[in-house]
Amino acid sequence: MLELKGVDTSYGAVPMLRGVAMSVRPGELVCLLGPNGAGKTTTFMTVCGVVRALRGKVVVMGKDMATLGTENLASLGVGLVPEGRRLFPSLTVIENLRLGYDAVSGRGPDFAAQLDKMCTLFPRIRERLRQVSGTLSGGEQAMVALARALIGEPKLVIMDEPSLGLSPKLIGEYFEITREIHRRGTTILLIEQNAEMGLGIADRGYVLVKGKVAQEGPAKELLSSKAARSLYL
Amino acid sequence: MAELLVQQLVNWITLGCIYALLAIGFSLIFGVLNVIHFSHGDVAMTAPFITLGLAQALATALGASIPAWLVLAVPLAVLAVGLIGVLLDKVVIRRFRDAPAMMALVATVALGIVIRELIRHLYPQGSNPHAFPRLVSGMALEISGVAVSWFALLVVVLTVALVTMLFVFLRMTPLGLRIRAASEDRIVARMMGIRDARVFRATFFIASAIGATAGLLFASYAGVTRFDFGVMAGLLGFSAAVIGGLGSMPGAILGGLIIAGIEVLAQTFVTDGASYRLVFVFLLVIAVLIFRPAGLLGRTVMEKV
Repeated sequence: MLELKGVDTSYGAVPMLRGVAMSVRPGELVCLLGPNGAGKTTTFMTVCGVVRALRGKVVVMGKDMATLGTENLASLGVGLVPEGRRLFPSLTVIENLRLGYDAVSGRGPDFAAQLDKMCTLFPRIRERLRQVSGTLSGGEQAMVALARALIGEPKLVIMDEPSLGLSPKLIGEYFEITREIHRRGTTILLIEQNAEMGLGIADRGYVLVKGKVAQEGPAKELLSSKAARSLYL
Repeated sequence: MAELLVQQLVNWITLGCIYALLAIGFSLIFGVLNVIHFSHGDVAMTAPFITLGLAQALATALGASIPAWLVLAVPLAVLAVGLIGVLLDKVVIRRFRDAPAMMALVATVALGIVIRELIRHLYPQGSNPHAFPRLVSGMALEISGVAVSWFALLVVVLTVALVTMLFVFLRMTPLGLRIRAASEDRIVARMMGIRDARVFRATFFIASAIGATAGLLFASYAGVTRFDFGVMAGLLGFSAAVIGGLGSMPGAILGGLIIAGIEVLAQTFVTDGASYRLVFVFLLVIAVLIFRPAGLLGRTVMEKV
């Protein structure tokens, strides 16, 4: 569903990713780990087509991102949760969700049914639907951002550091929901700094250090590997 | 005294509505593209020339008087200016949406000069002022002994109608929702499948068509139009948008009313105020930029964790 082959990117003259190769297969939950500045968000932005690969290839849902704009990802069935949630702050919760629904869906179940589904998955959202999203708490914003990515029933969801800034209690809740979404059949690429939590629910993992994949393998192995722990802890 | 106050009140509201319509275009474009479109006033002021040209051409070709053809020429000019706005965005302005502000400023100022010079050279006797008729004439009603013209009523009704339509469009249609989303975060909007080009096209069409309406009312209010009226119309509209808060629609309306209020107050209560009215207006703009750079209703975004 997602493949990066020898991807190099840079911000101006500063190289960010160097020969990154990774993949996400259908039905997997893959966790991309790394310390601050490792290039995790750059990887997210490159996969989304916001940052262009200088070398190598990014293939999403069988399409080469070199010829595909960011705006086409949603219609291919890709839901995105950017770093820092990035809800549209002046829009209400329901308007944010509507945009997520229109982006991916179009032909699927109607919006009201999907909205109800999201409110069942994230009960706090129901009472906030008419509230301007910029006034929500950080935890609520995180839930709305995830619901916005899920409401169109995407095949692949890519999440960039969703736990950032959440309280430990909320982080646990958030990862439990992510595990549940995966269990229902959605493929997920989870980009995370919280290694214990991320690898705890993932099938496979990659450790990114200074723009390079330093280690990869099954999540359980990475979690117990001393070499891997020394890289991300 | 009461008559004078009522008369000035009518003038204030009429002028305030025209400035508000001009300011809305600046705010809408800035909100979506983050570019200050300094040639917006010039684009708006092409509308009276297109109207006059069309009405003259129709009168020559099909007979009847020029004023009789205004009914057809005015909506056609508004449509044409909307399309001109879309074309200018596609050819010039869009290229500066991510460029440093200075580049966009120079480019849009240059574009304004190009528009003015084209009017001057392409329109017959384009350097001269051209009489522009009142779109409607006669007195509609009387308030405290002051006759209120149909034109003043038309300006108010048109402004209320356009602002309401814009509000409904932005709040209640899928395209309006996409425009609002793109104005908040263009990258995430693209992640939501929103196509920049469609949003920009719609924004420029709406802003330019509303600007054209303001340009027609401006010329009709003055009774004359000239190739360089766009400079003053643009400055006043931009100032109104800045005072209200660039990017804010209610701010644009408030800014328009404030600027018109100052103009009318200066003309009424200051000796030789008509000559000094712009001094007061632009002193206020400077004061707002110093003490409240985001404008009176400018947006502030809270970030919560």
